[in-house]
Amino acid sequence: MMNNINVILARSMVASFPRVATCSKRLTSSLSSEAVRQNHLFDIEQKKQKESVGRIEKIQIEYEGPTDKATLTMNKHISTPFDCAKHLGERIADQSAVALLNNDTLWHMHKPLPDSCKLQFLHYKIPQPTAVNKIFWRSCSFILGAVANAAFKDTVKVQLHSFPSPNVRSGSFVYDVQLDLADWKPTEKELKVLSIEMIKFCQQSHAIEHMNVSTELALDLFRNNTHKYQQIPDIAAHNNGKITLFRAGHHIDISRGPMVTNTNHLGRVTIANVIKLNTDVPGGPIYRFQGVALPKSIMLNHFAFGLLEERARNLNPARIPGSQESFEEDNSFVAQVTA
Amino acid sequence: MNQAEISKLVSQLRVRVNPRLRKLKSAGGPEARLDKLRKTVTALIKHERIELNYPRADESRMYAERLISDAIRYGDCHRETMEMADFWLIEKQLVHKLFKVLAPRFVNYSTAYTRMYTAPSVYPEVVKRAVLELRGNPYPSLVPDMHNNRNLIHNVLLDEAKKAYRTQKYEEIAAKIDAAEKSVSEEARK
Amino acid sequence: MLSTTPRLALSRQLKNFRRFATATTTPAEQPVKDKSDTRKNVLEYRQIYPEFLPDPKIEFRNPIREKLERSDMIARRANVDIPEFYVGSVLAVTSADRHSPGKLHRFVGICIKREGCGLRANFLLRNVIDHQGVEILYDMYDPTIKGIEVLRLEKRLDNELLYLRDALPEYSTFDSNMEIEILPEGAPVPVNEIKVKLKPRPWLDRWERKNLKGVQDLELPQRFYDRAKELETPWEKYDLMKQYMRTVPEEEQVEIFSEVQTHLHRSGAAQKLKRKRTFVKPTKLA
Repeated sequence: MMNNINVILARSMVASFPRVATCSKRLTSSLSSEAVRQNHLFDIEQKKQKESVGRIEKIQIEYEGPTDKATLTMNKHISTPFDCAKHLGERIADQSAVALLNNDTLWHMHKPLPDSCKLQFLHYKIPQPTAVNKIFWRSCSFILGAVANAAFKDTVKVQLHSFPSPNVRSGSFVYDVQLDLADWKPTEKELKVLSIEMIKFCQQSHAIEHMNVSTELALDLFRNNTHKYQQIPDIAAHNNGKITLFRAGHHIDISRGPMVTNTNHLGRVTIANVIKLNTDVPGGPIYRFQGVALPKSIMLNHFAFGLLEERARNLNPARIPGSQESFEEDNSFVAQVTA
Repeated sequence: MNQAEISKLVSQLRVRVNPRLRKLKSAGGPEARLDKLRKTVTALIKHERIELNYPRADESRMYAERLISDAIRYGDCHRETMEMADFWLIEKQLVHKLFKVLAPRFVNYSTAYTRMYTAPSVYPEVVKRAVLELRGNPYPSLVPDMHNNRNLIHNVLLDEAKKAYRTQKYEEIAAKIDAAEKSVSEEARK
Repeated sequence: MLSTTPRLALSRQLKNFRRFATATTTPAEQPVKDKSDTRKNVLEYRQIYPEFLPDPKIEFRNPIREKLERSDMIARRANVDIPEFYVGSVLAVTSADRHSPGKLHRFVGICIKREGCGLRANFLLRNVIDHQGVEILYDMYDPTIKGIEVLRLEKRLDNELLYLRDALPEYSTFDSNMEIEILPEGAPVPVNEIKVKLKPRPWLDRWERKNLKGVQDLELPQRFYDRAKELETPWEKYDLMKQYMRTVPEEEQVEIFSEVQTHLHRSGAAQKLKRKRTFVKPTKLA
């Protein structure tokens, strides 16, 4: 049984991991037809939205840094905080995780600015980084979804379900995935390979793009994913009929956001465990993928990180998805507090 | 010279010692070189944090370390150390600071007494700059404090891991006590 | 560390050390010393055994070689007693001569220089024999040396007595049958404050520039002193790092001497015993 359900993996690992005879290499070369279709739709919609801006208007952005101030004239609905950061310097553009508008709104770095505003950039080492940590954790879950989606052999059917609201205190970030494997317990090697896939994905430095789309388009995008398809109407109902999408590389997912700027913000990453959940979601067993990661800018010695990895192996206490609930925990729309 | 000098005993410096001393481009020869270093050491003892060119910072750092280690080692009653302090500190009120403020501050240190950072230089200038400071100075730290800010993500994770570990241990202890009590009560019943 | 002047404290420590060294007769009877005491004693060793300290020049440092050399030195000391002596002490060295096999050569003279570290440590003895100055440079750990006796243990005011070459011959004349002079037990090494009279110029070196303490007035024209004053480097004594780079720091010295301490202590105790025995049955000069 175990022989044909292994994780798929990167070419470099095949030699040391002989049970994986064929390698789909999805992450590196060929994409699934589903991903191609989704990206095609995403590209078309993105182009359409850019064209719909029409006449370009100018807005004044007042940047407030820790030591300096600047006023930038940018394009309404076109310029993003990331563009402002690029004007201010490479270092700011590289290290900023998220933008803060008018001292109250967290704004995704690749989301166009709608109006004149005050702008600040937040990174991981500010005195009060709780919000940034949360955003980082959410991005980790999102990227974990991308890895889980692509890392399995073609024979294994993978359907992403959802990820709960990010909670750094729980010790691990989570993605719940439906796999048509009856009773899979990952080996150490398989977890290692999954971690390496995630590291590789992060090192490809994909900008995490943002887009708001209509419910119809979202339903079309996720028509092959039954769980997401079911969640979309609920999400739209709580978000003025719009669905917020994020894309990193070729992976598209629904989330309230915001996310960090780029996948290369992740430094040390480990996928610590995959645990089968006890739920009644139809279609197959749900597995909870758990991992732990730190931003690139934060160095931690391997012993301390080992403790974190050890803790991340325990089942994350976040809410377990079920079929009864009318409102799925749709990617952090529910402010959920777990101990 | 092929033999160590034994007339004076010195403490080991906690900073890297260069194999040879820099000449610092002094037109007046070694005397002028010492004069330059003297100014820097005095400024360091006075202001506790200074920014200057890298070579001079690196050089005067060693001298400042030596001066402080001698002050700690021999105290202010030692004539030679006092002469040395008198030479190295141009402003004489700093002699008092050296023996009465800095020596008690550093006496239990197991690290170097000074800290040096490379400072950024503005583009057209290519000169390497450095910041030299005494440890335990009253100014805010130059590098972000990664340890005391418990809100940083790694500290949050570590704190929670610690909590979880403690809870687990307490539970184990409680389970042990319960088991012991159970066995005692069973014996009593018999 | 030291509250009083170092010289006083130093001599007190030295006394302690001597008392301790004479009090113990066998290594088995050594009492357990506390740590700070060991440290103090260890620091006194640097005066007595300076050749155990490595060359402080960073280019020449090599911890493994230094350690090996030290073990070789200890091994050599097990075979021949190399006593405590200083520049200014009068020594008698008995050595084998390769040109006259089977015979031993004994040379008495005043130690005018001590140099080198490790196995290359050497000392220079000087005597005037038949109105002819003779100097022999001995390697301290040379296996041809059969014995070193200290006839008169004392120090002089200078660290090198090379000026004796230009001094009147009576200052470096010593009887080859000289008797061992015994110091009272526990006494510090005496400093001989004799001022030597130099012969008139020409000399082997410009002694007026050397800042010598153990010579009488040199009786030179004023221009010599002026030139010497011009060439002085009075700032050099303030160069803390130059000073540092010429010495071995205390921490390293403690490490080195605590490594060789037991061996040195054993040989030191043996020396004292020997000195005592010779004191019991003195021989009279003719």
